[in-house]
Amino acid sequence: MKMDKLIIGIIVLALLVGLPLILAQPEEPTEKTIIINAQQFSYTPGTIEVNKGDRITIRLISTDVHHGLYIDGYEVSTDARPGQDGSLTFVANETGKFVMRCSVTCGPFHPYMIGYLKVKPDYRLFGSIWLALGIFIGSILLVSRRQKP
Amino acid sequence: MEKKQIMEIVAGILVLLATAGTIGAALLYEEHLWGGLRTIELTAQAPERGNWNLQEIHMVRGEPVRIKIRNIDTVSHGFAIPELGISLNGTGEIKPGNVGVIEFTPEKTGDFLFTCTTWCSTRHMQMTGRIIISEK
Amino acid sequence: MTEKILGLIPVDWRFELTSLPYVRKIIKSRWMPFLPIVLNLSVFTVILMAGFVGGVSAGNYNFGIMFVWIVWWLLLMMVMVPLFSRIWCMVCPLPAFGEWLQRLGFMRVRNKLFGLNRKWPKSLKNMWVVNFLFLGTTYTTGFLTTRPIATFILLMSIIIGSIVLMVVFEKRNFCKYIGCPVGGFLGLYSNMAVTEIRAKDPQICKDHKHKDCVIGNEKGHACPWMILPFDIGRNTYCGMCLECFKTCPYDNMAINLRPPATDLLVDKNRGLDEAWKAFIMLGIAIFFFLIMQGNMGFLKDWANAKTTEGYLTFVALHSIFNLLLIPGVFFVFVYASRTLGSKEIPLKKLFTNFSYTLVPMGLIAWIAFSFGILFPNSSYVLHVISDPFAWGWDLFGTAKFPWTPFLTGVMPYFQIGTLLFGLVLSLDIGFKISKQTFQKRDEAVRGFIPIAAFLTSVTIFLIWLFTG
Repeated sequence: MKMDKLIIGIIVLALLVGLPLILAQPEEPTEKTIIINAQQFSYTPGTIEVNKGDRITIRLISTDVHHGLYIDGYEVSTDARPGQDGSLTFVANETGKFVMRCSVTCGPFHPYMIGYLKVKPDYRLFGSIWLALGIFIGSILLVSRRQKP
Repeated sequence: MEKKQIMEIVAGILVLLATAGTIGAALLYEEHLWGGLRTIELTAQAPERGNWNLQEIHMVRGEPVRIKIRNIDTVSHGFAIPELGISLNGTGEIKPGNVGVIEFTPEKTGDFLFTCTTWCSTRHMQMTGRIIISEK
Repeated sequence: MTEKILGLIPVDWRFELTSLPYVRKIIKSRWMPFLPIVLNLSVFTVILMAGFVGGVSAGNYNFGIMFVWIVWWLLLMMVMVPLFSRIWCMVCPLPAFGEWLQRLGFMRVRNKLFGLNRKWPKSLKNMWVVNFLFLGTTYTTGFLTTRPIATFILLMSIIIGSIVLMVVFEKRNFCKYIGCPVGGFLGLYSNMAVTEIRAKDPQICKDHKHKDCVIGNEKGHACPWMILPFDIGRNTYCGMCLECFKTCPYDNMAINLRPPATDLLVDKNRGLDEAWKAFIMLGIAIFFFLIMQGNMGFLKDWANAKTTEGYLTFVALHSIFNLLLIPGVFFVFVYASRTLGSKEIPLKKLFTNFSYTLVPMGLIAWIAFSFGILFPNSSYVLHVISDPFAWGWDLFGTAKFPWTPFLTGVMPYFQIGTLLFGLVLSLDIGFKISKQTFQKRDEAVRGFIPIAAFLTSVTIFLIWLFTG
């Protein structure tokens, strides 16, 4: 029946989407030193991508006022003034996207001063997308299978 | 109708208390907190946003004063009178929206510099003023 | 077979909260909701004072900003609306002065209201005005959420505006159709709530010709929200002012607990104004995330009006995204739905009906977005309650409490969990609406697939945006 073919098609598509997860081999951990520039109201680079297990050293450089850097999840922080760099070292054991926030009030948009730390592979993201697709397929199956009373 | 009139009056009083009363209570509390000592209200802003609200502060030798420094800016500031050895306790920094308080009795007369002690802007070095202490 | 929300709770399940002891007694007293309003007035006085003296100082250390944009907004999204419908309207202090002026008193009940008592034009008795008012307010988000004086100006404008307009237009037209920026949100999203006010026994109302709830009597005012308490179809325009509890001679009004989102299935007064409200709310959740929790400095510069061109670009993109892009994309999926389902259903009807599936999606998107504010930044509240005016106070000993993010590691899981739950609920509502709209079941199933695909895509996009 047309409906069943459609459903099979969806399942195949979902499997293809999930393939990256199956194939995602975590890279070998290395030492990384990253320089982050802080200015009102963002970080440059805005995103840092590292691999699980990497030992990261961040050097924070401020170009205008006193800024901070706090990393969600890892709960580590440092701060920097112009001419006085900050430094932070940690091992990226947890995967996923972690928000880096400014931890020193630095101006009106301080609460919105944000950067991203991405520790690959992002199992959490793949897993949630899988779940969402599963819910989608499940709902289609559910409504198309139910018999009328 | 008596009961209804009483209800109405009580209601009105409650509204008055909630609005004017709240404002009044706040102002009274502020008065109570800082009363007693001569209090100088100093507000801190980076030079490009207004600098100190007072460029000159006059004091009398022997008369105790309180300097209340309100940081109404969006970055941290500091305060010190280096020549008199006066500075803020703790980190020496007043965060935005916070207040630093210094109480002292001037012993010497003269003209002294007061300055912000926290890097707050590219024009931080211009964030200064004068304290003038005279005889009575 | 009775329909069940999420396959669990029958759509028509109700539990009458006003059957609990003392609840009905409290609701019927004239001190309710007067006393909560007065309490709120006091808090708002502090908010206005703090906003006024705060000027352009740091918003995160200001009572006004923290209590409006963090405490109230988060409570509204995450607790008040999903659980208690338009309960904010019950206790909102902003129109209080206008209403007391109309009534020429606080407690007394007169059936003639002071003022011009003009009717609001019928063509505007919808959400269009408040849609644009809300959108307009969001243009200023960069200032509203960071400069205390901006919050002061906004709230003061609503208060003064309400006093003036309530002397011109009758009753609560101001709240419903004119001047409350969140009126559209409250109206549409209250349909999700697990609480409602309805007449208990419809037969009593049928036999009762002199509708005290609509006309008023010596015990209470005519319904200020100008709805028919004996026939409330959806929560949308019931402001929970509790007058009908006081006027009904048969004590026939009730507050009920009910399954979530049931009003979304009520095919009454659905319209494109509400569809656009749903698009706007979803769009703004995305755009606000990009500005406030995103990592693109140039967007923040735009919203902060660092340059005029940047600001105007932001306003233009924000408007196009919310008013045209999202509805446009949704339209494509609705078109596909009609093609797969049945071409006999008018496109406009299908588009309107299915837009209600965006209500659970939008609310949940906002709740997920709010977690991103709650966990990192709610600690500032401890400072502002001790030193509300930044005058150096320490009322509760928490003035020096440092910025303390908490549970930031688990935060993404809260967001993902909420979004996935939102997807399940939206799909459930979506299929039920599909069955309502298409004539035959197999049409409803086929027509549902593109909508389900849209909802799933939005969910995946939000999961990626917020946590990936």
